[in-house]
Amino acid sequence: MSTITIKPFIGNYLRRSPKLHPNSKKAPHFSLNYSRRSLFSGKANLRFTDYRRRRNLLLRASSTDAAVIETSEEQSDVVFKESFSLKRPEKAEGKIAIRLDKGNDEENWHLSVGCSLPGKWILHWGVHYAGDTGSEWDQPPREMWPSGSIAIKDYAIETPLKGEAFQEVKIDISSKWSIAAINFVLKDEETGVWYQHRGRDFKIPLVDCLDDDANTVGVKKGSGIWSGSLGKLSNILLKPEAAPSKGESSSNDGSSVKSRRLEGFYEEHAIVKETLVDNTVSVSVKQCPETAKNILYIDTDLPGNVILHWGICKGDTKIWELPAMPYPTETVVFKNNALRTLLQRKEGGNGSKGLFTLDGGPSGFAFVVKLDENTWLNCKGDDFYIPLPSGQHQSKENEESNSSQIVNRSPEQSQAGSVYTDEIIKEIRNLVSDISSEKSRKTKTKETQETILQEIEKLAAEAYSIFRSSIPTISEVVSEAEVLQPDVKVTSGTGTGFEILCQGFNWESHKSGRWYKELHDKAAELSSLGFSVIWLPPPTDSVSPEGYMPRDLYNLNSRYGSLDELKVTVKKFHEVGIKVLGDVVLNHRCASERNQNGIWNIFGGRLNWDERAVVADDPHFQGRGNKSSGDNFHAAPNIDHSQEFVRKDIKEWLRWLREEIGYDGWRLDFVRGFWGGYVKDYLEATEPYFAVGEFWDSLVYTYGEMDHNQDAHRQRIIDWINATTGTAGAFDVTTKGILHSAIERCEYWRLSDQKGKPPGVVGWWPSRAVTFIENHDTGSTQGHWRFPGGKEMQGYAYILTHPGTPSVFFDHIFSGYRSEIGNLISLRRRNKINCRSKVEITKAERDVYAAVIDDKLAVKIGPGHYEPPGGHQRWKMAAEGNDYKVWELS
Amino acid sequence: MEVSVMGSSQVNFGRNDLGCREAVNCSFTKNLVVNISSSLKNSKICVGQSVKLGGKCLSRFSLKASGCSQAEPVLSKNNRNPKQTDGVKLFVGLPLDAVSNTNTVNHARAIAAGLKALKLLGVDGIELPIWWGVVEKETMGKYNWTGYLALAEMIQKLGLKLHVSLCFHASEEAKIPLPEWVSRIGETDPSIFFKNGSGQSYKDCLSFAVTDVPVLDGKTPVEVYREFCESFKATFSPFMGTTITGISIGLGPEGELCYPSRHNPSKMNNHQGAGEFQCYDKYMLSSLTQCAESNGNPLWGLGGPHDAPGYDQPPMTSNFFKENGGSWETSYGDFFLSWYSEQLISHGSQLLSLASETFHDVPISICGKVPLVHSWYRTRSHPSELTSGFYNTANRDGYVEVVEMFAKHSCQIILPGMDLSDNHQPNESLSSPELVLSQITSSCRKHGVEILGQNSLVANAANGLEQIKKNLSGDKEMSLFTYQRMGADFFSPEHFPAFTQFVRNLNQPELDSDDQPMKEEIRVASNHLQMQAA
Repeated sequence: MSTITIKPFIGNYLRRSPKLHPNSKKAPHFSLNYSRRSLFSGKANLRFTDYRRRRNLLLRASSTDAAVIETSEEQSDVVFKESFSLKRPEKAEGKIAIRLDKGNDEENWHLSVGCSLPGKWILHWGVHYAGDTGSEWDQPPREMWPSGSIAIKDYAIETPLKGEAFQEVKIDISSKWSIAAINFVLKDEETGVWYQHRGRDFKIPLVDCLDDDANTVGVKKGSGIWSGSLGKLSNILLKPEAAPSKGESSSNDGSSVKSRRLEGFYEEHAIVKETLVDNTVSVSVKQCPETAKNILYIDTDLPGNVILHWGICKGDTKIWELPAMPYPTETVVFKNNALRTLLQRKEGGNGSKGLFTLDGGPSGFAFVVKLDENTWLNCKGDDFYIPLPSGQHQSKENEESNSSQIVNRSPEQSQAGSVYTDEIIKEIRNLVSDISSEKSRKTKTKETQETILQEIEKLAAEAYSIFRSSIPTISEVVSEAEVLQPDVKVTSGTGTGFEILCQGFNWESHKSGRWYKELHDKAAELSSLGFSVIWLPPPTDSVSPEGYMPRDLYNLNSRYGSLDELKVTVKKFHEVGIKVLGDVVLNHRCASERNQNGIWNIFGGRLNWDERAVVADDPHFQGRGNKSSGDNFHAAPNIDHSQEFVRKDIKEWLRWLREEIGYDGWRLDFVRGFWGGYVKDYLEATEPYFAVGEFWDSLVYTYGEMDHNQDAHRQRIIDWINATTGTAGAFDVTTKGILHSAIERCEYWRLSDQKGKPPGVVGWWPSRAVTFIENHDTGSTQGHWRFPGGKEMQGYAYILTHPGTPSVFFDHIFSGYRSEIGNLISLRRRNKINCRSKVEITKAERDVYAAVIDDKLAVKIGPGHYEPPGGHQRWKMAAEGNDYKVWELS
Repeated sequence: MEVSVMGSSQVNFGRNDLGCREAVNCSFTKNLVVNISSSLKNSKICVGQSVKLGGKCLSRFSLKASGCSQAEPVLSKNNRNPKQTDGVKLFVGLPLDAVSNTNTVNHARAIAAGLKALKLLGVDGIELPIWWGVVEKETMGKYNWTGYLALAEMIQKLGLKLHVSLCFHASEEAKIPLPEWVSRIGETDPSIFFKNGSGQSYKDCLSFAVTDVPVLDGKTPVEVYREFCESFKATFSPFMGTTITGISIGLGPEGELCYPSRHNPSKMNNHQGAGEFQCYDKYMLSSLTQCAESNGNPLWGLGGPHDAPGYDQPPMTSNFFKENGGSWETSYGDFFLSWYSEQLISHGSQLLSLASETFHDVPISICGKVPLVHSWYRTRSHPSELTSGFYNTANRDGYVEVVEMFAKHSCQIILPGMDLSDNHQPNESLSSPELVLSQITSSCRKHGVEILGQNSLVANAANGLEQIKKNLSGDKEMSLFTYQRMGADFFSPEHFPAFTQFVRNLNQPELDSDDQPMKEEIRVASNHLQMQAA
């Protein structure tokens, strides 16, 4: 019984790549992302140019950029002619086969994973060692790697599948490695699509001590418990005749349940790969001078039955209406605002065509193409709209413009999923009262049943994902905060004081080429987690893909996405109530050309500075400006901010970013490189909602051991903030460093300074301290200064309960820590902890640190014991995890 | 004739899902022999696909056959009142915190999606907990129903039924407190709350001793509850009887009719203990004193039993509860336990009476929840039940008076714990949820009190759902079952598929013999009919 359909969990949004959508036949799935790699994931059907929520069923077609628009020179009566290219999804079905075999003895096993579909398949896998807690992957031992494997970070490897018709990879497993489970997903490298098992990793348990995850494969078969999966369910109920009982997989009823020894098995899982095939639809409109009627001719090479779902529009509105009678043949009325016409098949079987005669009245002809119940093609997320000549409306609508506000469209698209569901409910009712012939009822019932099952799964998955985040929606929290904090003053250094930052990228984010889109998809989720500010990656044209080597400042097409995508994403974040920080690199800038000496110091783009804008004290770049007002960054020309024209240009640029992109504030890169006073100048000119500078230098160590007293370090950060006259905050590097030592060495006493205050910037100037435990430099794939592994939640328990403005790193949000972090954020919000909250350190000993914040929260980190003062009468536990606890007033 | 055929068909098809399904349909066809033999063949062919255990099949069998008394040959003897014409209605509870303290709907999007999923699945209705502490939060008599109205509308639009639970208690789990003004009164007069022997208060609901004492700014809790109910009735009048089909009235801690005896303030999760008597607040003690004096034993009225065990002490070694010669069997014991349980019943009676009076003119059913106190049931003294207020021992049926009280007010009893089976209880607690359940149900049957079932937990779904099925298919004559409750666990991939399966098995077809589909369309038809319930 192995017809569970695999849901590829990542959509690929590039125009040419395959798109995913529910397989109408058998694709019940949970489209939840459980994976730690979920930073790659996203909704399978993002329509980036359109904010409205859309159904998965819709498919996008794009109008070709080189649309042929002929004016009426040759044929005087042709008033419109255009050919649109369509991407039609084509499905290939195959299977993933998983086999576990015993080797020579009980100690040696072989796992083979194969796939029957053509493609360049990669097994992305990791192991889970016995005794490990948590769900993290580990890299398998080196001896276990099949040939051709490559390491992915430090937790997984990728092994290509080999073979001709049937590709396969074999993994040898020896009990000496004490591996508890093997986790994997399958990746199609050509398309970049990942295939998972019911929304999670495949998991092959080798030791039975594992928890009963629903994604386990190959155990507990036949026990009846596992068969509860919806995937199976629908198949069992809908077409038992098609459910093959394959090999051992279904015959070992129950027997394997009792003895949970490792047993070999063989399983197959259905897989549906989808590719987009190019098709076109061309439309031409002729005007018939005698009758004043428009004749619209549609021609397409789409195979099979093609139904045109269409309506007419009047005046400037794009509201669908029914045209005047009579309708073409093979036409049915749909919901009183659209018609469905089956196009005529062309002779020879290649495509279809249709002819529509329309009165002179309507100003436009709107349509979408329907291939089957689940496959719709439209024009870049909008309806196809063909302007019709009608006197006043001669100008051609620009098909490319996505900003059009279409009020109403065909019902499937126009409203959110609810309407669709309502329709299903209605259909059920109709069905019940339907007493037509048995035959029709049979087919109809089957179809409806399938749709209903899929819909139920989708809704349940949606409900699950929201409930799981278990945090009240942002709007409530915000309104509450507003009510209770009416006199909040927003200043650029602190915002409202209640901000919670999310660093919205890591060092790898540029790799997908569509990071903005991916973030766009996560906006609602981040908002529901309680974040109020997101820090986006540096947006400009850059020599390095990560963006920190900016070149043409006015060119915002970067490896993270295009200018338009950035704007859309920023807008999306604003919609969900999140402010957006732009990461601006002001210290240095890469030149576009060499000067006469062959030195790279002539800048390109709109700000065409030359060596006069470069500081004089870096010999590499032969700058002719003044000496630097700060430290030098040696990889690129450092900008001389002391010069009026430079500052004027930068201010102008920043203002442009504010207006054009909609950034609310700044994250200022490498501010060690120039005087804080200039930053003040920039901030006053741009009036950001929030600004934070990166002033990162080394802490004080003596004989390799960090000094307890880091006052000098935090003083340097404070000095910088002071230079900006408090118009910007700064990352609290000191706190991060002290947390490292305290946690790594179990020296929690370090978390109190000599005066009993927090030892970081947050102890001295909390409202300007932006606390963090990791960023793209310290962690991610660079790992310059990584927070003690596995102890991250202690760090978050500290910064999310303490004053200062906490910043949470993207990788930690989309990891196993997500719910714990979410819980801490909601605690922070609920108790109105802000950047100025009062800390009272109640314990700072070798193995435990504890504090009470604002008399509302008590927190402890470290393995030692701690009970908040007043005990459980006064306090109740609100969060708990690996060596940390947080209490709320009860 | 049919009976005997069906009997054997159970045996034959018990192993097989498909066979079972078809066997049911057979009972309605005129052409018995042919169909059964063909399905026999079929079942043999399909053995490879067999996925269900015999027990499941049996239960489904009897469910599907309801409405046709001959179809339940084994059970029909007991089944004097075969009124289950339309089977068990299935409700699902909304999250406890569906409406937040600030009267907005929490997780509105999740709830909307969840409700639709349930509707599509064929669930009949939704249970909605309405909290005193949310609606009448700030001042007495000032009600804010907005959040709940929004939910009721949402439910109505989907064509679901609604069962409302009026909660006059606080919930630690959902972080919903009592109304602020009540808590303020409690701060100045802590004796409105229960108190245990060591003087610790239980502040999640009011003591039963003050139910009719004007402690709330001159009003009695009963009066306050009545006004609350009236406001509810007026506000929700458009829904009454159409969308809202039932109301349960909160009777104590967690809404259940019992003392908070098992609420251990030290929060130790000790299964060993049997709870403590909660009779030490001022009003309780004064009632006890009075009772003792009128009984001629003033010394008995000074406090609860001195030899009762603490929360985490094993009860059976204590002098009060010990199996033989324990104080519970003495005349003092009888005096105390009678008084203790009378307080509970009198409290319950007052609340049910106010509810049935308030809602007498609307066509909805009124219910109250009685807990399933199952630990230590297999002893003579039933210590857990005694501390909870049910004077139920080896010598005495303590549930009769409870059930009679419900009968008197024509109210229905909600019984939770339908998912609990004896097999999954720790041995040392001598617990038996199944026996308690059957004791209460037999009492209910005697007094004609209808039972509405509930489960105790979403977790433990696999076993729980099995047990629920068993209970629903037994002789318990339940017209409604409420599954608790919606939330992340409920919709998780670990749980929801199992629940889906459960619902689909529950929604038995209501076949009419005239509407009997052709043989090859049986499956389709049963799908079709399942959707009728949708």
